[in-house]
Amino acid sequence: MSVILAIDTSTDRTSVAIVRDGKPLVELNHDDPLAHGEILPKLVKEALLAENKIDCVAIGMGPGPFTGLRVGIAFGQSFALGRGIPWIGVSSLDAIAVNVGEEDFIVAIDARRKELFWARYFEGKRISEPAVNVHQIVEELGVHIVRRPPTALAIAELATTQNLREPSYIRRPDAYPLPTGINFRAAAMMDAVALYGLEKEIYSSEDPWSLAQFKEELAAKDRYYIVAESEGKVVGYAGVMPAGDVTDILTMTVDSHYRRKGIAREFLKRLIDWSRNKKVEAIMLEVRVNNLEAIPLYEGNGFRTISQRPDYYGPGKDALVMRKELRS
Amino acid sequence: MSEPLVLGIETSCDETAVGIVKGRKLLANVISSSVEEHARFGGVVPEIASRAHLEAMQQVISAALIEAKVSLQDIDAFGVTAGPGLIGALLVGTSAASGLALALDKPLFGVNHLSSHIAVDSLDEDRILEPAIGLLVSGGHSSILKVSNLATNVEVLGATIDDAAGEAFDKIARLLELDFPGGPAIDRLAQSGNPDAITFPRGLTHAHDLQDHRYDFSFSGLKTAVSRYLKETPGAVRADVAASFQEAVVDVLLTKAISAAQAEGFESLIIAGGVAANSRLRTQAEQRCQEAKIRLRTPPKALCTDNGAMVAALTSLMVQAGETPTGVGFSADSSSGLERLLWR
Ligand SMILES: [Zn+2]
Repeated sequence: MSVILAIDTSTDRTSVAIVRDGKPLVELNHDDPLAHGEILPKLVKEALLAENKIDCVAIGMGPGPFTGLRVGIAFGQSFALGRGIPWIGVSSLDAIAVNVGEEDFIVAIDARRKELFWARYFEGKRISEPAVNVHQIVEELGVHIVRRPPTALAIAELATTQNLREPSYIRRPDAYPLPTGINFRAAAMMDAVALYGLEKEIYSSEDPWSLAQFKEELAAKDRYYIVAESEGKVVGYAGVMPAGDVTDILTMTVDSHYRRKGIAREFLKRLIDWSRNKKVEAIMLEVRVNNLEAIPLYEGNGFRTISQRPDYYGPGKDALVMRKELRS
Repeated sequence: MSEPLVLGIETSCDETAVGIVKGRKLLANVISSSVEEHARFGGVVPEIASRAHLEAMQQVISAALIEAKVSLQDIDAFGVTAGPGLIGALLVGTSAASGLALALDKPLFGVNHLSSHIAVDSLDEDRILEPAIGLLVSGGHSSILKVSNLATNVEVLGATIDDAAGEAFDKIARLLELDFPGGPAIDRLAQSGNPDAITFPRGLTHAHDLQDHRYDFSFSGLKTAVSRYLKETPGAVRADVAASFQEAVVDVLLTKAISAAQAEGFESLIIAGGVAANSRLRTQAEQRCQEAKIRLRTPPKALCTDNGAMVAALTSLMVQAGETPTGVGFSADSSSGLERLLWR
């Protein structure tokens, strides 16, 4: 082990260093959350001017926001392949902890969407598996939280003791409490694939809308579609269209992992508000007769059943038609 | 350099692909697809695609080198798709290509995905390169390109204003209860049907459409018409529906492409993209091009869908044309058009 090229792109910072026999030759940093792909090769090119003969590439494997993280890994692995030298993966959290001179502390990296990737350290050793949680949960532990980017120098240092082979993505296990931050916004054409993906998952057994249908729906000028997002992922959608003197709710769908959080209630409120602005007489919807989650929600919001449609959702699957008066 | 050895990387969507060419000779074309992982979502999920690219990249590069029987040190230049495509997916490719180029101190070219689809046709060494109209038709694209020079001068004459042709095939296949992907399934069913049985609409072909959309396509009206026909016609003959639908698509694609060739005074038409595998499109294209005295080019099917050979082919032409390489440290552009053939 003599000359190490170290890189890390797990935070907004792109960090590059070359270390010979434990001694830093060069360290370059650039802060920009969106430019890892453009910046990293430039920094490496510049660093190589200090020492071009590299024996090994050390790569920060995260956790960190995925797009930037993958830039560092794809680049580092390919550089190693090109030179015919090994690459070594290092935990980016551990690299931050290297320079903390405290007994008990937490190291955290911004995971976006009000969450942190984090792990706890005691007497210089990591004592918890890296995890992802909303800020509040990490803060409630009452331990000092160190938040700064890992340095490529620390990545190089840990390359002598670690050798991770996979990126650290850390998915949220289902048991974690849901973040409060659900974001509602108008749907756009770019959401078509996400909506279709969700639709297929939820209505797999009863003729889901096709991708093309979603595109048509989202392109139609007279419709109103909204989506609910959690951590940038679409977890629900709803749409309404005018039909003569009333408006008709076309769909209202929530990811099964995000039910009972008030998402459908918020959808309904927004569709009703939109309909009121259209100055129509009423808002209507169809619902499966056996949907005992949705019907009470509609009733609680002033919808009344006005008729029943046999086989509306397929043989033996009847629909209730419900209506809420908007003029009173 | 007359016969550069070029390695091309393509990761704009769900195929992790590496191709190697020498001059205009294809040496290797290796593809790892994550399409299976997307199937349950019914569309390409960007995060899943990006992950899969990173997982496959090193192996795909190595496999291509083995297939081409060359080593990385032999490569004269690297090419990579820099756009358009999914940004997270593109970044895996551009970062990998930058790592290789920098490690080996070799030139790197960031190139356009759309023009490389057409440039793959140059891999037939017997072909004399000449100005051509490119008809690019797949699940993601439906464009008519004016290819004055494959390496340096490609313009978009028209494109779809709603769905890509391949998407229309998938949708109609669903209506006809055929398997995904819809293209091959409709192609098969249509063999036993009558293409003239039903007259489905040809989008954007009326005189008033041609004013603004001379070379543009629209397939959404056609889908609606097929859907309505199926609803209103109990006992519709599915093979006739498939054949007539396919005929409408093929007709409008070829009519517009050939009229573009005639208007531009080009004697050659290149049809590329996944839909170029459609047998009706191929036979009709042959017949109509013959009538119009236009030379027809259709790359082999394996080179029509997204692949790395097309990136290597385009990069090789650029090297031969003496273009200045992009170098490392550029940003991928998810929505770039053809004004960017080569990133600078
Ligand atoms: Zn493509």
